[in-house]
Amino acid sequence: MLDYLVSIALTAGIYAIFALGLNLQWGYAGLLNFGHVAFMAMGAYVTVLLSMNGIPLLPAVLAGMILAGAAGAFLGMATLRLREDYLAIVTIGFSEILRFILLNWSSLTRGSFGLFGYPRPFQDLVGIRDYNLFLAGLVLAVLLLVYMLLETLARSPWGRVLKSIRDDEAVAISLGKNAFSYKVQALALGSAIAALSGSLLAFYLQYINPNNFQPIETFYAWIMVIMGGSGNNRGTILGALILWGFFSTTRFMEGYLSFSPTASSGARMVLIGLILIGMMMFRPQGLLGRKEELSIGK
Amino acid sequence: MANEVLSAISVCKGFGGILALDHCSIRVEEGDIVGLIGPNGAGKSTLFDVISGFLPPDAGSIVFSGREILGLPAYKIARLGLVRTFQIPRSLMRMTVLENMMLGAQGQAGERLYIPLIRRHKVMAQEKEIREKAEEILEFFDLRRMRDEYAGSLSGGQKKMLEMARALMADPRLLLLDEPFAGVNPALADRLIERIRILKEKGLSIIIIEHAIPYVLALSDELYVLNKGRVLASGRPDAVISDRRVFEAYLGEGA
Amino acid sequence: MEQLIANGIIYGCIIALAAIGLSLAYRILNFANFAHGEFLTLGAYFALFFAASLDLGFLFACILAIAATAAFGVALDRLAWRPMRSSGANRTAIMILSIGVSIAIRNALIIFFRPDALRFPLPVSQGINIGGMTVTSLQVEVVLIAIAAMLLVHALLSRSTLGKSMRALADNPDLARISGINVDRVIRCTWAVSMGLAALAGIMYGLITHLNPNMGWSIILPMFAAAILGGIGNAYGAMAGGIIIGISQEISTAFLPAEYKIAVSFLIMIAVLLFRPRGLMGGG
Ligand SMILES: Nc1ncnc2c1ncn2[C@@H]1O[C@H](COP(=O)(O)OP(=O)(O)OP(=O)(O)O)[C@@H](O)[C@H]1O
Ligand SMILES: [Mg+2]
Repeated sequence: MLDYLVSIALTAGIYAIFALGLNLQWGYAGLLNFGHVAFMAMGAYVTVLLSMNGIPLLPAVLAGMILAGAAGAFLGMATLRLREDYLAIVTIGFSEILRFILLNWSSLTRGSFGLFGYPRPFQDLVGIRDYNLFLAGLVLAVLLLVYMLLETLARSPWGRVLKSIRDDEAVAISLGKNAFSYKVQALALGSAIAALSGSLLAFYLQYINPNNFQPIETFYAWIMVIMGGSGNNRGTILGALILWGFFSTTRFMEGYLSFSPTASSGARMVLIGLILIGMMMFRPQGLLGRKEELSIGK
Repeated sequence: MANEVLSAISVCKGFGGILALDHCSIRVEEGDIVGLIGPNGAGKSTLFDVISGFLPPDAGSIVFSGREILGLPAYKIARLGLVRTFQIPRSLMRMTVLENMMLGAQGQAGERLYIPLIRRHKVMAQEKEIREKAEEILEFFDLRRMRDEYAGSLSGGQKKMLEMARALMADPRLLLLDEPFAGVNPALADRLIERIRILKEKGLSIIIIEHAIPYVLALSDELYVLNKGRVLASGRPDAVISDRRVFEAYLGEGA
Repeated sequence: MEQLIANGIIYGCIIALAAIGLSLAYRILNFANFAHGEFLTLGAYFALFFAASLDLGFLFACILAIAATAAFGVALDRLAWRPMRSSGANRTAIMILSIGVSIAIRNALIIFFRPDALRFPLPVSQGINIGGMTVTSLQVEVVLIAIAAMLLVHALLSRSTLGKSMRALADNPDLARISGINVDRVIRCTWAVSMGLAALAGIMYGLITHLNPNMGWSIILPMFAAAILGGIGNAYGAMAGGIIIGISQEISTAFLPAEYKIAVSFLIMIAVLLFRPRGLMGGG
């Protein structure tokens, strides 16, 4: 039972942090980041590579966040003056390119062989037996911290400007707000949060390889955000729990159905695609959201 | 001679084939209300877009408070105190009326990313001030009871009011109002005229685009008539309005 | 070097065909369609399926596959895009939906055809030597058919009433509606053309490489890069963009490991967005 709770806390918690970063960008600022997983990958790889080279973990994690934030800001600066779909195209491209680089720069990343045997926080103090329990606590603490940070920001004048840009950028500009700069800030901060979730994922998995960071991960985050009602941090966390529940029940059911592994993972993915389609067509305001708060439909 | 707030000189703006603004010039003196009329498609809204920095002109010069503002990004122009409203009201639909208003305030420390995290009390104090000011202005526009509604749920006339109220939150020196009376019922319109007069008495300069001539006559110190992107006539309202060419321009539109 | 350019032209023709469809859809339907790669894949698998199950010859199977993909496009419009349009959803919602479509189609193909690489049931075609470059007759055919298809698109856009209505719709939807254009019909035709071209591109890509359910998704980036390079929404630009992207990707393999060639289209795309956001041919 405890193991079960620990595994929920770890997977759902890490994905909730990941998705909260996206919710800041999409839910509050209306930015179409289709390459969110790239920033998670940057967090994981930078943290692991630096710590394998003797850099203490905390600075290694921070370095990943800073680098991911800078990358997010750069992609934003290249595209945010144009129509919003360019950001989507460029970010999804970036996430694929980054994965190619990680796969092929073998001297640094060991390619698809992956990296393992890297340090994890307090591993000597905690010991291997209780480590997941400890890490689950750490993940939940980070989740709480990120949640509080984002809630504070969402309720602040900064968050108000962000929401106004999402609703109608021209209004924000007519009232003296530098919309471009706010969008870049939201991208950078959301990407840094994704990097943080990537570091935690690396600690949890003990083994990372570029194929952990397929584009589909980005759209898991999208489903979590939209399901919970875009622009709602608590909803996003709920979305992460629901998606986690979906995966564990479908895996559980596979035990009883005699599908081949490719067929059943294929079927699960088809379902994911259909969920995304169905949500956009029938419930774009999310499960909890009210129509007036609809941040997509218009 | 009174202080000049705005002087746009020989502004031109073309869209593909048509010249929406053709060497158009306009001046506003401190504390004046300037009316801007003209048939549909005359270029009035385009002039607002250009003055407020939303559209780059092809040629011309725009001086505001003694400073050339041509080429400045729109948000910087707004920060200097030149605030525009939109012809079709642009409410922030998924924000409440009060949030719409509070957005308008200038110099908010809490709009910097890190300030709300490290200076909570300062931000909260400032928020309180801004909220009070917002409620005052909402009261002025009879919108106070709507303050917690989503702006998307307001009626057309209320949206127009909110549009103007929100612009006032920015403490502008010059306010550009694009058809503030459109969609506002006549009883409310009379009160709106009163309110605009009060704003003028407080020293605000205003340019009003309006199709309803009586309202313009009731308010303006100066009147400009635009037709096909050019200033057809300008001067004292009663003189301008009796100008034959103005009459013909409007007739021409009807024909 | 000539060999690389030859390869680039072949690959570029495929990207160009795909990018035309992407660009048309962007111009007329007003959104970036992230499921476009899957339409290539779908076309290729339809051709494989018809070739294997009907005894009618490969060419006929291809024609059938193009028709089937186009029909699929029209059906998809009925089921998904049109309800979204009529509910007034904005284009970001439609773009997210296109991601869902992409994921669903790709994985449905994985279920039905397994993720392994497959080949069309054709004899290996012999290499021929043209001025120092080795190309197969198949590759030459691919280029010729691509050029023919582009000429056809040109004729369609510039000569036919459909082309005129498409342009009218793209330039001013409201005006088009009141001037009596049957908007839904034009949109259906746009989908049919866009997806037919995608199917053709997919079949060709399958011919010069192989088929797998990921094939279309794996080249979505060069497709977008080509469309953006040509000024997104501009069909002729997309053709030129495709060829340029194809050639630059291949030439890059002379200096960089071949794995990185897709990064070349990404870099070109970023550079275009930074310095010529409306594309080399203006437009947009
Ligand atoms: N973004 C644009 N692109 C192309 N043409 C435009 C654009 N904005 C305005 N125009 C054209 O410029 C001319 C002037 O338009 P403008 O909106 O300034 O007129 P107006 O005087 O405000 O009219 P109204 O009284 O109807 O609001 C019109 O012919 C209009 O069609
Ligand atoms: Mg106007």
